[in-house]
Amino acid sequence: MASLLTLKRRIKTAKNVSKTTKAMQMIATSKLKRAQNAATSSQPYAEKLSELSRNITRQNEIEELSIYTTAPKISAKLTIVISPDKGLSGGLVTNLIKEVVRIEEKRKQYFIVVGKKAENYLSAFGKELVASFSFGSALPQYDSIFPVLSLVEDYFRGQKVSSVEIITTRFISLFSQVPQKTILLPLKLEDENKEDEKDMVFEPQASLLLPDLLKHYLEISLYQSFLESYASEQAARMIAMKNATDNANDIISELTLLFNKSRQEKITNELLDIGGVIYE
Amino acid sequence: MKLNLKVVTPVKMILSDEIDELTLPTTSGEISVLPNHIDLLTKVSPGEMVIKKGGKIENFAITGGFLEISNNNATLLADYVIRATDIEVAKAKEAKERAEKKLSEKQGNKDFVVAQAELRKALLELKVANRRRVTS
Repeated sequence: MASLLTLKRRIKTAKNVSKTTKAMQMIATSKLKRAQNAATSSQPYAEKLSELSRNITRQNEIEELSIYTTAPKISAKLTIVISPDKGLSGGLVTNLIKEVVRIEEKRKQYFIVVGKKAENYLSAFGKELVASFSFGSALPQYDSIFPVLSLVEDYFRGQKVSSVEIITTRFISLFSQVPQKTILLPLKLEDENKEDEKDMVFEPQASLLLPDLLKHYLEISLYQSFLESYASEQAARMIAMKNATDNANDIISELTLLFNKSRQEKITNELLDIGGVIYE
Repeated sequence: MKLNLKVVTPVKMILSDEIDELTLPTTSGEISVLPNHIDLLTKVSPGEMVIKKGGKIENFAITGGFLEISNNNATLLADYVIRATDIEVAKAKEAKERAEKKLSEKQGNKDFVVAQAELRKALLELKVANRRRVTS
């Protein structure tokens, strides 16, 4: 049986671990709240923008539209993988990378990675990384998407790739975050209700407005993926840290029981020894 | 009859209210929108936005976006909007100086564009804030 001193040390270690994980859990909880708020408050903008884009394309035959909706006849594609910078988030990163590998095709594939974790994995696999950005540990800023998007435009409009997709972790609930692929380009603007035609004035004319509008549409789509990934990261970390804290607490109570038992045993033995001496 | 106005940015909904008049700069000149305006979609350029509601006037600085009007509902999709009363003059001044310093250092093309955009934003905020002080 381990000596009292080593037991005491192990209890102390477990206590320290539980303190740390508890703190991380609380941080993740508060960050998650902020992330969820950000996600809901960007919703109205995104919805309105997609509605507008659909409206304007429905009413006008616009050539400018084709730069975003028709795919160049090339087999290569560009994949944006969004992951956290930091670990300790349960199976989140592993699941994400698994998904990347699972949907991989034979054709040429470029990668833009956001987040250190994805970068580490994909560069270890020897994938062709076009660029790598850090994700940061704070709520993603809207500005952070612009460098990514300008690269995307370069590749898609420069006819280097035929499609651009985003792989990120979708936030479904506190307990479930699932990796998901969404197609960013070519754009698909679905017509839902063709009947609903209205006379609308466009200033300047629609063909000048549309490219700008679509650009904003791409921006907000990408931004929402960022937010989604951030929320998932925090939720996954929160749960992982909660489990770690619970485990540490279990270990503490087990070790404490063991410690008390062996202390008692030691005392009993000493008493027996003393008793033996007197008896002799 | 009032005009329903919603001002939203990618990060949050700034305003949702019934108003009497909306004046804002567009790429084809400044326009004023009154209730029952014809359906319209237009691009907003950087400048000052004025909202009138029951005799009260509110000023905003806006860096750009889109304005949609349909069925007496106006939706402003703005890149960045700030209420004139919320502009912190000291902060804007600081941002302006920082941007100017960056511009004078002649960095790479990308940094240059970012600094330029920041400078424009700071100048706009200062302009709107100063005008409000004069009128009030």
